[in-house]
Amino acid sequence: MTTLQTPPATAGAPAAAPRASRPARRRRGQGRWSALFLSPALLIIGVFTLIPMLMTVWISFHRWSMFTPITEMSWVGLDNYGRLFADSARVQAIWNTVAYVGLSALITVPLALLVALLLYFPKIKGKGVVRVILFATYVIPTIAIVIIWGNIYAPGYGPLSAMLGAVGIPAPGWLSDPSWALVSLVIFNVWQMLGYYVILLIAGLTQISEELYEAAKIDGAGIVRQTWSITIPLLRPSLVFVALMTFINSIQVFDPIYLLTQGGPANSTNVVSFEIQRTAFQYGMAGESSALAVSLFMMIVVAGAVLGMVMKGRKR
Amino acid sequence: MTAVTEKPIPVERARPVPGRRRRRNPWTTALLYALLAVVVLIPLFPLYWLVISAFKTPAEFAQIPPTWFPASPTIDPTVTALTEVPFLQSMMNSIIIAGGCTISVLVTSIFAGYVFAKHHFRGRDLLFWSVVATMFLPPIVTLVPLYYLVSSMGLSDTYLGVMLPWLANAFGIFLMRQFIMDIPDELIEAARLDGAGEFRIVWQFVVPLLKPAIVTLAVFMFVYSWNNFLWPLSILRSDALYPVVLTLNRLMSYTMSFEYQNVVLAGALIASLPTLIVFIVTQRVFVQGIAASGIKG
Repeated sequence: MTTLQTPPATAGAPAAAPRASRPARRRRGQGRWSALFLSPALLIIGVFTLIPMLMTVWISFHRWSMFTPITEMSWVGLDNYGRLFADSARVQAIWNTVAYVGLSALITVPLALLVALLLYFPKIKGKGVVRVILFATYVIPTIAIVIIWGNIYAPGYGPLSAMLGAVGIPAPGWLSDPSWALVSLVIFNVWQMLGYYVILLIAGLTQISEELYEAAKIDGAGIVRQTWSITIPLLRPSLVFVALMTFINSIQVFDPIYLLTQGGPANSTNVVSFEIQRTAFQYGMAGESSALAVSLFMMIVVAGAVLGMVMKGRKR
Repeated sequence: MTAVTEKPIPVERARPVPGRRRRRNPWTTALLYALLAVVVLIPLFPLYWLVISAFKTPAEFAQIPPTWFPASPTIDPTVTALTEVPFLQSMMNSIIIAGGCTISVLVTSIFAGYVFAKHHFRGRDLLFWSVVATMFLPPIVTLVPLYYLVSSMGLSDTYLGVMLPWLANAFGIFLMRQFIMDIPDELIEAARLDGAGEFRIVWQFVVPLLKPAIVTLAVFMFVYSWNNFLWPLSILRSDALYPVVLTLNRLMSYTMSFEYQNVVLAGALIASLPTLIVFIVTQRVFVQGIAASGIKG
């Protein structure tokens, strides 16, 4: 067999600099410039991301109405967390979020892979244009997409029910049916984001050496075998990255729920991020809202750790 | 100038591989094109629906079953959308907000990315990865304190308040650092030997080599800020400052009645055009840049 080695990630870099041979030496007076160049970015990120993160944790241990000064905040320990898990609507919001994220990832990742394979390997015309069109949905404001899909899902005058009716399938109530509403939201999340993930996966495919396929072909491996034994294992970094991006993007879903369903019908689309915003800005309960925010944050940390372990475990 | 050329990131390789035979079965070819057609119709159909609906008359719009092409196209819905709510004013607001954020992110990211790529100091990589970690922190998690901070600075309901938290971010720093790392150290050494200061090195030697990265980040940030809904919704009160997405929301909520749905769709079309145009104009570089951001990650 040939040596199984992927090209380094920087393949195609300009006459590679011998970076490794250069000792990390410090230059006199460079420190001032480092500090000066870093400070605007670090200041903004520190003040508007790190400090608020710490404050979220702090507020989550307090009772504080958003409509009163922060000085009237009172310590309640873990009360907010206790109440969070005693409130069935909020517990359901957590499960809805898990379902939304899980469904989004389960549909998006395989679908993006299939489309990426189609748009990369076979010699067909028009692939470039298709990529651009696929990506276009990513740049449209979510509110516009919400309006479009609200109309596509509309019963009667909407095209989807007309199309389903034409082939004799009774259209579900989509957004007004508690068992379909969340799925409907997943569908247009997938629609909006697919092109972005396809581009990322195609980029990953370009990094797989052609020689592997040549060798596999000599060994008599067919397309399926090649995909299963070469493409998917070697694409793993990109696949994990796409899974991570799907996760991060869908766990913070807010706009379509705020705009289309307000968490309904029957609480079936109430997700954590919507509940965070509603609890704070409509009910003013900043403490409980922050406890929810911390829970969301913990979900991200746990999922990130799991994905990281998957990455490491498979690498060997 | 320098001998280093901009680095094209291969989005496509010249010779695609598996399953390549000398001549393909015509049925396979037909199947592939059919699949391609499906793949392209998925994004196109809803966009097509948006456009035709925006040009239908209310009567035609309400028809059951729906018509697939407007029988007598009219610009009335567009005109109504533009006069019912101050769309043009909002366009200006969005341009100010998105433009301001984009420029600021570019500048802060280039300088920070340069330091993380080319300067050496203890703890540099730890600091870098800590910054990158904030990329995975959704804004919703910090919304309440962020709102509190910005309003207690007296900046609620101001342009500055809308922009301030988004003037720098980890993604931009990450992207710039990855691209600047590809610039040979020799080039920077040479500039230093010529007596160039750090500022001049960045502006005169690094920036010209970053064109693809700059375009990518600029488009990405512009689109992101243009489409950002949650933060303006939280911090803005007066319509005069509303970006397009909030104005569209207003249009959507006070024309809930069915006869005005085509007006709302016309509004959605208007609100989508600027980012779509920016994307189409820059797509060649932008799509490659996004691809590169994935590989380098």
